[in-house]
Amino acid sequence: MEETQGAVNGEASEYEGSVDVLSPEDLSELLAAGTKEVHEKAENTQFVKDFLRGRIRKELFKLGAVALYYTYSAMEEEIERNKEHPYFAPLYFPQELHRRDALARDLEFFYGPGWQSAISCSPATQLYVDRIRRIGREDPVLLVAHAYTRYMGDLSGGQVLKKVAQRALKLPPTGEGLEFYQFDAVHSAKGFKQLYRSRMNELELDPETKQKIVAEAVRAFQFNMEVFDELDEIGKSIPEEAMDAGLPVHGAGGDISKCPYYAAKTAAGGGTEYACQVAMAVLRHPTGQVLFAAWVAVLAGLAAWYLM
Amino acid sequence: MADVETDPTHPEPMANEEEPLISNLDLFLFTLIAGLVIYWFMSRKKPEPIPEFKKLDTPTATSTRETSFIEKMKKTGKNIIVFYGSQTGTAEEFANRLSKDAQRYGMKGMAADPEEYDMAELSRLSEIENSLAIFCMATYGEGDPTDNAQDFYDWLQENGEEDLSGVNFTVFGLGNKTYEHYNAMGAYVDKRLEELGAKRIFDLGMGDDDSNLEDDFVSWREQFWPAVCEHFGVEALGDDSSIRQYELKEHTDLNMNKVYTGEIGRIKSFENQKPPFDAKNPFLATVTVNRKLNKAGGRHLMHLELDITGSKIRYESGDHVAVFPTNDTALVIKLGQILGVDLDSVISLNNLDEESNKKHPFPCPTSYRTALTHYLDITHPPRTNVLYELAQYASDPKDQENMRKMASSSPEGKALYQSWVLDACRNILAILEDLPSLRPPMDHLCELLPRLQARYYSIASSSKIHPNSIHICAVVVEYETKTGRLHNGVATNWLKNKTVVNNGHKSTVPMYIRKSQFRLPFKSTNPVIMVGPGTGIAPFVGFIQERGWLKEQGKEVGETVMFFGCRHKNEDFIYQEELEEAKKKEVLTNLHVAFSRDQEQKVYVQHLMRNNKEDIWRLVHSQNAHIYICGDAKNMAKDVQVAFYEIAEELGGLTRTQATDYIKKLMTKGRYSQDVWS
Repeated sequence: MEETQGAVNGEASEYEGSVDVLSPEDLSELLAAGTKEVHEKAENTQFVKDFLRGRIRKELFKLGAVALYYTYSAMEEEIERNKEHPYFAPLYFPQELHRRDALARDLEFFYGPGWQSAISCSPATQLYVDRIRRIGREDPVLLVAHAYTRYMGDLSGGQVLKKVAQRALKLPPTGEGLEFYQFDAVHSAKGFKQLYRSRMNELELDPETKQKIVAEAVRAFQFNMEVFDELDEIGKSIPEEAMDAGLPVHGAGGDISKCPYYAAKTAAGGGTEYACQVAMAVLRHPTGQVLFAAWVAVLAGLAAWYLM
Repeated sequence: MADVETDPTHPEPMANEEEPLISNLDLFLFTLIAGLVIYWFMSRKKPEPIPEFKKLDTPTATSTRETSFIEKMKKTGKNIIVFYGSQTGTAEEFANRLSKDAQRYGMKGMAADPEEYDMAELSRLSEIENSLAIFCMATYGEGDPTDNAQDFYDWLQENGEEDLSGVNFTVFGLGNKTYEHYNAMGAYVDKRLEELGAKRIFDLGMGDDDSNLEDDFVSWREQFWPAVCEHFGVEALGDDSSIRQYELKEHTDLNMNKVYTGEIGRIKSFENQKPPFDAKNPFLATVTVNRKLNKAGGRHLMHLELDITGSKIRYESGDHVAVFPTNDTALVIKLGQILGVDLDSVISLNNLDEESNKKHPFPCPTSYRTALTHYLDITHPPRTNVLYELAQYASDPKDQENMRKMASSSPEGKALYQSWVLDACRNILAILEDLPSLRPPMDHLCELLPRLQARYYSIASSSKIHPNSIHICAVVVEYETKTGRLHNGVATNWLKNKTVVNNGHKSTVPMYIRKSQFRLPFKSTNPVIMVGPGTGIAPFVGFIQERGWLKEQGKEVGETVMFFGCRHKNEDFIYQEELEEAKKKEVLTNLHVAFSRDQEQKVYVQHLMRNNKEDIWRLVHSQNAHIYICGDAKNMAKDVQVAFYEIAEELGGLTRTQATDYIKKLMTKGRYSQDVWS
């Protein structure tokens, strides 16, 4: 009864004495507590704040998807490599979690069938990928930190991001371009997160290793923030997508040859093809048509005068 | 000049000559500049046409923006105004849709951004006849208003003396259950407006973006408009009164290969089965076992085994099997008879909205018989919007009035619906029988009835022992309703009739696996406590099989404790042999069975748990046991949870609050899992 008294009179959630209810040694709790600060920081980066407000430009969203593709490809490869490792096996849920194929489909939607040659790994993403590859080979227990940071996030706030992106970018309601956010084999995100936590806590780890994992999770957040910052920087150099003027941008499922960015990429390739595309694009635009028509008319008039 | 003409490729003669002064290059540049000048000139004069915008009814062009929404409503003849608190555009979109809906009911609506208007004018709404203010309010962040609703929110808070009597309102909130302050803004506006004297004409709608905001909105809106019409005594207009979403097309000479006969997705997918199998492409599993589990008693508990050989389907114990049941043939025939329709007519219902992704309400073309048997829910009591839409087909005015009343939000209406439809469990056939003047056309009925849903059962086998067979444990639902009719559960009766061989044919069940998060611990040494009375034992049959298999593999297996409950030992102690065998082999370290009706006082699983509180506490608190509850959600799961609280309080020296926190913590960490159903 003494304990009860103490518990009642003591602080609300501190259970000193015989009953240590919180089990602060549980990895899931250590991770939640240890990443709280950096999580808030990540939520408050300009990129994320803008995103949540629906201020996300398509080009940046696409580049974000590219970064995710490289990241998850690396992570899931290392997970496959370590799927039987005692420090990862309980967390091996390929069917439920793995994102690489979904991201590949999203990229195909955004960049067309030639997407693999249209994309490249940015510097910030490369740093992240390098780290994942390194620990996958040298210290697989730290893979837990990266899996936790990404997958738990995807199953939480990630769902909110999906709806925001769908509306802001006017993506089709059938889900193309957003398959990354769709966890078809997870019926309840809440239930799955609980299962995942229980599995993390089943790993037999000493306190030191647990701390290492927490530190690595913080690092994972930082890698992500650097990718956001990089995207933000890129965003500053991309001109605003004008609504009325400018070349028509290809919409969902539209003609990729109209995409100025795709055109810019092909310009590096075939010169004539590019020139033709530019010419066609100009001619499709009403302004271009008027200009061209006027030019032809005047030219004809002058030619007529000239030849008379 | 002639010289130049005949010899245009020689630049030299051109350069030497004084006239003409202009070279090819000059000509090109001149024309280009001229072209640009002309273009600029033209673009200045002609304003660019904007084809997408419809001509708005703004009679007088106002140079200053109107900040009085009352004036705007009066000028444009609107009686309904839909304010939106929107951050990412969803609430705004909903507001626009609602304002468009109004015209179907002979009213005129407009959507409005509260930031652009003087919200203090709300009390003036009574100046407009039959006015209504709808609020689509999204909650942002920590229960905050959206940016554009901040001023309105402040105004609401600060003005306690405001008198809004005469203002009719309703609120639809947009929120997300993963956030603590779910729909705080919507709830606040709803409550506050009432406090200030406004009249709520329909209940607060709460949309959950975590599950399906669109569905929540559509459901709320379906009930909302009938309530509005009821309130204003307005009827839906002539042609639009039926507000049909789909158009009927009758097929006369169609190749039967193009007609759906019950497939969920691809036509002929039941004949040509191709993996992968999922919700849109179920696998037709053969029924290899269908036996009654109980020895006596009025109920029928059954055990079925479905063969999934060759399907490449994999499952784990704890997963759910989804089955696609069909309706009772007799019920379908009666519906055809009462509405005087040839059930074998082949029809399609085509969406009138060509932009919509949903071309048909169910796979078309198909026959009425197939639609009523495979695709439509004809057993659940119909929702109020169905009653409202069908009311027009009741030739007796009293019937019509009653139907509309039940769809309204008036207390009498709601009470009538509750007693006449819900409490009496009247399905659509019962309603048609009891309202003889109600005879809707079959196609409109098919448009209104909800889709027949797949049913989920916790798998009662372990894939380690039965990789090619999925076991189901279920109790057949059948009871008599207040009207003296027999109500049969669709799926359970359908399963019961899936005898192993039916008229010489093997019975098949269209199914797929839905992965669950109900899983044994990764480590076999982890103790488990399973609580699963009645058919709640299903997943545990699988768990126990798996623990047994692990033991046979030579693995060290932790304590495995089972709490089961049923009514009578001699009647419905299902899986008794399997459980006692497991106990003998020490796969089950402890088996506790409660027979609720074998003695005077009721004995349930929670009573047995209290009798074993020391063991339970030891396992849970010191040995990291995982707890699993399966079965009835309403009573059993709650009672069991309370039993855990009590054990934690008593043996852990905790207060009720601390005990509650303790269990909640276990849930978060995945050590207390529930697979429960209502």
